[in-house]
Amino acid sequence: MQGLRLIFEFFKVSTQAELAYRANFFIRFLNAILNLVTGVLSLTVIFNQVDSIKGWDLPSAMALLGVYLLLAALRGLFIGPSLESVAGMDGEIWQGTFDFTLLRPVDKQFLISFRHWRVLMLFDLCLALGVLGYAIHLMQAELTLLAVLGFIITLIAGVALLYAALLAFSALVFWNSGFLFTWIINDLFQLARYPVELYPVWLRLVLTWIIPVGLMTTIPAQALSGRLSWQWLILTLLFTIGALIGASWLFRQGLKKYTSASS
Amino acid sequence: MAEPIITVKNLTKVYRVPERAPGLSASIRGLFKPKFQDVEAVTDINFTIQPGEMVGLIGPNGAGKTTTLKMLSGLLYPTHGEAKVADFTPWDREPEYLQRISMVMGNRSAMNWDIPPLDSFRVLSKIYKVPQDQYQRTLDELISLLDMEALLKKPVRNLSLGERMKCELVAGLLYHPDVLFLDEPTLGLDVAMQRRLRIFLKQYNQQHQVTVILTSHYMADVSALCERVMLIHHGGLIFDGALQELADKLAPFKLVKLQFTTPPSNLEGFLTQFSTVEYLPSENGHHILRVARSDVPKVTAEILSNLPVADLSVEDPPIEAVIDQIYEEGKV
Repeated sequence: MQGLRLIFEFFKVSTQAELAYRANFFIRFLNAILNLVTGVLSLTVIFNQVDSIKGWDLPSAMALLGVYLLLAALRGLFIGPSLESVAGMDGEIWQGTFDFTLLRPVDKQFLISFRHWRVLMLFDLCLALGVLGYAIHLMQAELTLLAVLGFIITLIAGVALLYAALLAFSALVFWNSGFLFTWIINDLFQLARYPVELYPVWLRLVLTWIIPVGLMTTIPAQALSGRLSWQWLILTLLFTIGALIGASWLFRQGLKKYTSASS
Repeated sequence: MAEPIITVKNLTKVYRVPERAPGLSASIRGLFKPKFQDVEAVTDINFTIQPGEMVGLIGPNGAGKTTTLKMLSGLLYPTHGEAKVADFTPWDREPEYLQRISMVMGNRSAMNWDIPPLDSFRVLSKIYKVPQDQYQRTLDELISLLDMEALLKKPVRNLSLGERMKCELVAGLLYHPDVLFLDEPTLGLDVAMQRRLRIFLKQYNQQHQVTVILTSHYMADVSALCERVMLIHHGGLIFDGALQELADKLAPFKLVKLQFTTPPSNLEGFLTQFSTVEYLPSENGHHILRVARSDVPKVTAEILSNLPVADLSVEDPPIEAVIDQIYEEGKV
């Protein structure tokens, strides 16, 4: 309960801070629309030429785009802003204000994960849900309850994986305080816009098991279109749990290493 | 005597810092084969502090004051040694411990700069689980003590340094901590604001019996607030006792200031009879004598009975001068 209460407070304060800058409001709106249009347009162009690519037809590719946009929106809504406020040259660790974070009587991982919200990303979230809804509409005839259930589970796993990856890369800041390591995820995440099957084998392996941006989007989209085997479902869940534990461990090791900026 | 609230035994902190020679080639070499150097920031310090005490931690830049505070607040792990604050080991960072301490830093802000302070205070009250009625009471008390009603609705970004410091103090005291670590709270503030904050800290300490360790470069802060000082130099604790005792130890003389009804014809000649009196240049019509503490009664009696004295006062030398002397010599 205390956690939810705090999240609500953080959300409220972030909203106040963000609404102080009016221009952001319009820029964010424009950016969300642009993201949506380019995504949907490129899919329409491709599937006007072919019916399917390596087993992916328009509805399942649209579902993948929906998942990608949804994850990107959640990343932008709180995971990214919260974790990135710690790292980089203007980040808390470099500036020394991380001292105050450490002094709060709250779990530190919780605090650095939910503290900052970019509420205007709710636009993006709505548009992503719209794309997902459209994909479901396209595949309505073949949609089963099991597929929807699998989709929800793997989508949660996808969000958790994205969070774990960003947490792990953010934790590296304790070893090199001026550097923003999360750009690695941000750049590679662009590749999750398309099914991993489209990439060469070596890249597919990297995107599945090393920096698992492929797992985050491809697996939920496959689950929705009923093409996910239960073995993959279990493997994804185990991998997600492992990644969460690993990232949390790395973060705690980093905390021990924290030496505080000098006065 | 009550149980101490802070006990420190053999506390030591060694930092491992990268060592870089000047020049581009050295920088490139450092990229592949970095060199490190161990720097001892705090060496084997011991002390205890009683509940409600206000102690000044003084020393020159880089002496180890902030490192000591950061270890006591749990921000840093020591290299070795022990510390107990309110029965907790600080660097375990237990929530129950963090709930009982507060750290306010003059050079860092705990406030969110984009929103008015009142909103930051509200979030902090939720983090520290302060019940609503207690929060309102504490806030009202602090606001009135610091006279800051007008600041509450402006974004922190638009406040002056002194106004921001008031907010930092409120943020640090909202949940009634038992121990307050103050690291240079008056840094960069004008004289009037420094005095305002000192008055506040003194009042707050008297009303709430909060234990305070204060570091400051302004001796006026320390002498106004702390009866006891700990002096750190090169990481070691070289003095722990009353500020007055430190002054007495270091400056075994007093300043006698004199004003005459008519200027005496041969003052310096008259003073040659006292071997421990030194005549200093006069200031604004005052003649100043530096007299050994033990000789002050005899010298003043002689002056009063032999010279046309209009005014005579006996003062301690300024504490800044005393402290400067220690910083330079490195010992008490």
